[in-house]
Amino acid sequence: MLSFISKKSNSIASNTRNFLRHSTSSQALKPTEEVNSSNNKPKDGRKSYAEFRHIYPEFLPDPKIEFRNSIREKLERSDMIARRTLIDIPEFYVGTIMAVTVSDKHTPGKPLRFVGICIKREGCGLRSTFILRNVVDHQGVEVMYELYDPTIQKIEVLRLEKRLDDELLYLRDSLSEFSTFDSNMEAEILAEGTPVPVNPIKVQLKPRPWLERWERKNLKGVEKIDLPEKFFKRAAELAKPYEKYDLMKQYMGTIPEEEQNEIFAEIQSQLHKLEVTRKKMKRKRTFVKPTKLA
Amino acid sequence: MAFILSNIVSKTCVKSLEDKLLALSISASGTQIRERHIMNPPPRLRNPTWFTKKHRVVHNDEITTDNQEFVKEVVQDKYSNKDESPLLSEIAANAAEWQPTFKRTGVIARKIGIYPIWMKDGTKMTTTLLQVLDNHVIKYYTPEEYENSQPNKTRVMKKKGCLLLGAEGTDPSLLTKEYCGLFKNSGVIPKKFLARFFVSPDAALPPGTPINALHFQVGNFVDVRGKTIDRGFQGVMKRHGFKGMPASHGVTKTHRRGGNIGGGGEKARVWPGTKMPGHMGNRYRVLKGLKIWRINTKYNVLYVSGQNVPGDTNSIVTIYDTILPLRKPSNPVPFPTYLNTDEIHEEDLYDDDVHQFCDPTIEYNET
Amino acid sequence: MLMNSGILNGSRSVSNGLKYFHTSSCCREIQKMTKLRVVDNSEIGKRAMAEGKPPKCIHVYNKTGIGKIGDKVLVAIKGEKKKGILVGLKQNQKTKVPKFDSNNLVLIDESGTPVGTRIHVPIPTILRTILKEKTQSKGADYTKILAIASKFV
Repeated sequence: MLSFISKKSNSIASNTRNFLRHSTSSQALKPTEEVNSSNNKPKDGRKSYAEFRHIYPEFLPDPKIEFRNSIREKLERSDMIARRTLIDIPEFYVGTIMAVTVSDKHTPGKPLRFVGICIKREGCGLRSTFILRNVVDHQGVEVMYELYDPTIQKIEVLRLEKRLDDELLYLRDSLSEFSTFDSNMEAEILAEGTPVPVNPIKVQLKPRPWLERWERKNLKGVEKIDLPEKFFKRAAELAKPYEKYDLMKQYMGTIPEEEQNEIFAEIQSQLHKLEVTRKKMKRKRTFVKPTKLA
Repeated sequence: MAFILSNIVSKTCVKSLEDKLLALSISASGTQIRERHIMNPPPRLRNPTWFTKKHRVVHNDEITTDNQEFVKEVVQDKYSNKDESPLLSEIAANAAEWQPTFKRTGVIARKIGIYPIWMKDGTKMTTTLLQVLDNHVIKYYTPEEYENSQPNKTRVMKKKGCLLLGAEGTDPSLLTKEYCGLFKNSGVIPKKFLARFFVSPDAALPPGTPINALHFQVGNFVDVRGKTIDRGFQGVMKRHGFKGMPASHGVTKTHRRGGNIGGGGEKARVWPGTKMPGHMGNRYRVLKGLKIWRINTKYNVLYVSGQNVPGDTNSIVTIYDTILPLRKPSNPVPFPTYLNTDEIHEEDLYDDDVHQFCDPTIEYNET
Repeated sequence: MLMNSGILNGSRSVSNGLKYFHTSSCCREIQKMTKLRVVDNSEIGKRAMAEGKPPKCIHVYNKTGIGKIGDKVLVAIKGEKKKGILVGLKQNQKTKVPKFDSNNLVLIDESGTPVGTRIHVPIPTILRTILKEKTQSKGADYTKILAIASKFV
């Protein structure tokens, strides 16, 4: 009955600790990662929590403090795990080529399959979404899917890779060959334990007009943009190179590392179980796969 | 209090005497005395009995840790005796049968966030999660008691009693003595939040009765009352959704202003109720007729439809059975509240239309 | 192709690359004067697109005046007034509904029969439901568009 008193004092202490925490954005973490991995690494060859946050980013809640509530987050995670035990939601990143099969209300009895490159991944919890893009019959098509939509029958990763940028929305303004993918593409299987390859391809943009001012976005995956000098001058004026030193912004925009560890410690046994079943399935698939050549 | 009461009584006595005298004088002299007559006197508001100072001024007394522990122990001893809590089976045995005209108590809850659910036909819906806190009945005022404490009694046809509920137990050493005294007879630890609910006398509950999320059933409709987000002093565009004025075409200095606020002639004044800039939000509003789609019995969470329940996330709301006539329950509901604690429930109770996350993937078949 | 797509964005670019200007911003909404792209193989549509004079929307047959997927529009094409159905939009769509890189149009005649015989771009499956509903409410049979579609996404 009286445990709340001790709890309260604990939470206050942890709050003050949080102010002194490490920042958790992917760039800032690199130096501390090795130090922490020895502490965080769970036993028997499981993945560390630092890896989890890249593989399962949607398990981390919205860092906006006004929207947070621990019980809601817990309920959300349990629902996500329940969905994940039914269908295999694989590890994927922006730049990964995927195929999504959904059961369609408009064509009953005939599931729809769409192949494309993931150009954006956002949202957290049950609201997480991703956008696939492809060029079909010389027509650019984009479809947004919700990761935990119960009408999704299958999510396949055809080529697991990353690109140089966090968002590939500039593919909308680039030449169509850069976002054309064969819909009958076969899945490429990466050897186990290899790190996710980064595709260093540079995309050529179409001439202006564009949907956004790409010259201001500091894009790495785009070839040299052919524009008059004044555009770059203006871009340099508006650039915010000091933002990466804004610790407060980083703090408000990320989940503290201790909390991340807490979250992943709670679900890691279930995630590990899912991973084991996925590996079994993968082995089976590679074994059964017929190699028919005409 | 007693002094004020006697004062009022004496005042009324004097007034009646004066009236009599006046009546006499009229009959005697025949002169007419006019007095100012107020048509609708403003109600003389009197705070309810539980409206006392809540928080104590905490001084830094530099108590040793031993003494702190001792205080904790004392508090624990005082509030751990469970003999006083009423026997739920006894209440259940004495309870009347539910009738559609009865009004049950509501509950105090916390809005904990927003969350999508999917229906069995694949459509998505947004729900608000309301966590029912550790509600306990603090006190019950019978209709007569409650009426007597009201200053200007009007004749009430359907008499309702008043049930005082508390939620979220807290450290009594932070509260004032008077506030803690409210909880004396209920045998529960002092609560952070209090709320009153008007109930039919048949739905009254003895002090100390716990109320949980199963007070409501899946598929029923509820009204949720909360305090809207405080947005401060706002202009008419944000506060009332006015269109504002053009950005260009010779418009100067009036882009977000309301424009004209009244006409000429007969009504050459600003009419009461004219929409103008002012304070927005931070007032109680009720959202009515929300369906309960799912109930989590472990954490006492109700999933109600809509994403516009008044208030911030983590703010306190009160939940009532709906007053909308077409959405009132037709089947019996737990009356006076859910009392069967022995029954074991599944962790999640779902409406029939809701797709559970552990259900297989939705497929559409040709018909 | 490049120049063509520039026109489809509702803008005009000078091909020498020295001067970049466009006459209107990329129109995400179908309203009056929006330039559209004919995606069937009707003679008039093919010629209009080949000449670089894409049809302009001059009326949207709904109450809002803003064209959504499956809405009927009146277009000015090669000096003629023709009706058409919007079969793909640049606008952001709901989840699972595809969004296209151009605003696609299929020309129809008064009775709802398509003028062309084939659609050479993919068509969203949601049109199956929308056009069926419109057929019932409006009287004209729009579902013939679905029959000439080559691919659904």
